[in-house]
Amino acid sequence: MGRLLLIPIVLLAMLVASMFWSGRSEGEPADFVFFDRGDVRNLDPNRMSWMEDIRLGYGIFEGLYALDPQTLNAVPGTAGRIDISPDGTVYTFHIRPNAGWTNGDPVLAEDFVFAWNRMMDQPGDYTYLLDFIVGAKAYRAAVAEGKPADFSAVKIEVLDSRTLRVTLEHPVPYFPDICAFPPTFPLNRRSMERFRKVDPHTGRETYDNSFVRPPHFVTNGPYRLASWEFKKRVRLVANEHYWDRANVKSRVIDRLIIEDNKLGEFLRYETGVVDWLSDVDTNIAAELLARGRRNPLLKRDDLKVFPAFGTYFYSFNCLPKFKDGRDNPFKDLRVRRAFALAVDKQPIVETITRMGERIADHYVPPGSLPGYLPPERGLVHNPSEARRLLAEAGFPGGRGFPPLKLLFNTGSRHGEVAQQIRRQWRDKLGVTLELEPVESAIFSERLHNQEYDIARASWFGDYRDVSTFADKFLANSDNNDAKWVNPEYDRLCYAAAREQDHAARMELYRRAEQILLDEAPLIPIYYYVNTFMFRENVRGIPLDPRNMVVLKAVHKVKTP
Amino acid sequence: MLKFIAIRLLQFPLILAVIYLITFSLAWMAPGNPFEQTDRKMDPVALETLKRQFHADKWYKFLGYYPVRLIQGDFGPSMRYTGWSVNDILKVSLPVSVTLGLFALTLATFVGVAAGTMAAVKRGGFFDWASLSVALVGISLPSFVAASLLLILFSVEIPLFPVGHWGSPRDLVLPGLALSLIPMAYIARLTRVSMIDTLSNDYVRTARAKGLSRRSVIWKHCLRNAFLPVLSYLGPAAAATFTGSFVVEKVFDVPGLGQHFVNSVRNRDQTLILGTVMVYSVFLLAFNLLVDVAYAFVDPRIDVTAKSE
Repeated sequence: MGRLLLIPIVLLAMLVASMFWSGRSEGEPADFVFFDRGDVRNLDPNRMSWMEDIRLGYGIFEGLYALDPQTLNAVPGTAGRIDISPDGTVYTFHIRPNAGWTNGDPVLAEDFVFAWNRMMDQPGDYTYLLDFIVGAKAYRAAVAEGKPADFSAVKIEVLDSRTLRVTLEHPVPYFPDICAFPPTFPLNRRSMERFRKVDPHTGRETYDNSFVRPPHFVTNGPYRLASWEFKKRVRLVANEHYWDRANVKSRVIDRLIIEDNKLGEFLRYETGVVDWLSDVDTNIAAELLARGRRNPLLKRDDLKVFPAFGTYFYSFNCLPKFKDGRDNPFKDLRVRRAFALAVDKQPIVETITRMGERIADHYVPPGSLPGYLPPERGLVHNPSEARRLLAEAGFPGGRGFPPLKLLFNTGSRHGEVAQQIRRQWRDKLGVTLELEPVESAIFSERLHNQEYDIARASWFGDYRDVSTFADKFLANSDNNDAKWVNPEYDRLCYAAAREQDHAARMELYRRAEQILLDEAPLIPIYYYVNTFMFRENVRGIPLDPRNMVVLKAVHKVKTP
Repeated sequence: MLKFIAIRLLQFPLILAVIYLITFSLAWMAPGNPFEQTDRKMDPVALETLKRQFHADKWYKFLGYYPVRLIQGDFGPSMRYTGWSVNDILKVSLPVSVTLGLFALTLATFVGVAAGTMAAVKRGGFFDWASLSVALVGISLPSFVAASLLLILFSVEIPLFPVGHWGSPRDLVLPGLALSLIPMAYIARLTRVSMIDTLSNDYVRTARAKGLSRRSVIWKHCLRNAFLPVLSYLGPAAAATFTGSFVVEKVFDVPGLGQHFVNSVRNRDQTLILGTVMVYSVFLLAFNLLVDVAYAFVDPRIDVTAKSE
């Protein structure tokens, strides 16, 4: 019996020991706590590309330009004064003498050169944004082919320790926005030295990714990354060496992390643990909205639904033949238009997404860009025209149409939307497609490699210019998943990129989008909305389509 | 006995190597890659750079690099969680899962054995019937239902425990309870069946005839024999509970290892997949060995070395 009793006793002892081992974390309470979408993925400016990472990025880094917390316009950041040549191609940045890294080092021009050089050597999703700089493309091409590359040929010049001169190939009206964006953040070379690795064969330098972890991560923004507990919490503490520390409103900010548990996030908001939810679950938000409509007393003023800078659409494969050699009916623009015009989008936003989204007849969300008007003819629901076009293309009433598949990624509402659209095509065109749900990891690869017939897709703008949408459909764009090619579209876009006059630029882009919609390589379905929840004592969170929030300005006030 | 343990320990590396190779091939052949994560297509140069950086551009480079580091105790960097090595991830999440698993398994063993024994003794009575039904529900009820029910009952409706929090002993209770339900039900059933078996033995009658009290016979003489099937179940059960449960961790927001078994596959995070699988395998092998040793410990008459020699 004694021997038998020993087992539970040992178990209990182990339990107590392991409780100490598994540790705990509390520390001082934060001034502001929030949830962002999912986990922290990547804090290396080279590879930052998710919205939630970029938000943290703006908290811990600052580019030559920064974002105004209210308007989100690019305003002088680490560079206090910026001289732009009259032709708009030469930028001279004067870095503020009081700009400091979290380790106390001053921010110098060479920190930008170091970071941009590393960016071109170890490219990421947004490295192409640096291609506007004279010599950058050639340098990147040489790096890509493994040839010797001379970085001094890239026109990024250090005039003195705090003056940086950048020369562009042609004027880029949104270059200030790019200079505020993560790929142009500076890096502190001294603190990264210990993570440097040199390839013995090529002699090329790389840096171990763990340089982004506290306490070694040195940044130059309003906050420093004080701690990063895996899948639990990221803590930001005000950077005492930041040049504008007087305007950093909260001293300690916590970003809590739980993955794929929107109900848990919401419950913690409701119990007051969290001050801001940046991405409320659609089911919860739709339910709260519906309740508010039924009973005005239950209306939640802390639930903010506002237009986003993105479009949900379906993408046609426009190649003459599918990758497996089958003939592709979507190469015919009449077939594409027939499919596009047959879709009634209203039931989708009313019964499936239910967040008050606007249905999309255009590609660029109307009203999201100042001065840009959507082109005249959108892809509006028109079933009789759709049937006529399909008959004209040789498939009257859908007869003889090959069996095709509709590809989408599982999760979210994509399956329900696909079923709804499939039913509409069957009823209106007499064409029945097979649904093909795949998990996300496979989905993006197949979409990017045209291994699909027709696929669910989406696009979000990165910076405030039409080109952030228009460039996707350029013939040589990596993101042209439809492989749709139109020389006139390309010509208009390239002309717009070089046009200095704002109104004329917008008109060129408008004409380009008209061609895109007439040729319909895509079916716009609805414009995304953002959903935030924060209480009335929270300040500094703008309801902007671009969904960006500048943490420097975010804080809570005491309400009576 | 020592020789037996030594032989088993010597087999471990071979078994682990086979598991490593099988897992690697499956992970490598699965379509999709860990680096492409957004709706943007990655710059092919950027993708190549990353693959080279992670020694994942060719399968033989991967196999030439990671297993060598693994022997030195390093699983390499996670491909998805930039800046975190698999070792870091295991270091923070394994203790959480082990704590929770220990709590759950201790609870399951105590309650299961007690309930099973009592049911066997009062065979056919109300308690037997009730505990059998509860055990049946315990086994059949999926853990996501049980966990959600517990959360709604004891965190939302009756706010006894915090919602989704980790760091104090109080946070162990609900997830631990949810995690213990299935092993508890199994243990109760196993104990009951083997106790009924044991109670009908001659030596039990002899002990009673000698004048030993009923309680002493059951708890001292019978339980030791009746416990053996439970013990053999505890090995794999410990390996499973100590490495965490995806569902329970998800429902209660426990930052444990269980989530990585599923998420690493979903993310195609090959190094993390291998890390979690290897940890689980080591646990499984170690606990099975431990159970064999414990057999001899509980009942010295059992010769565990008999089979292997």
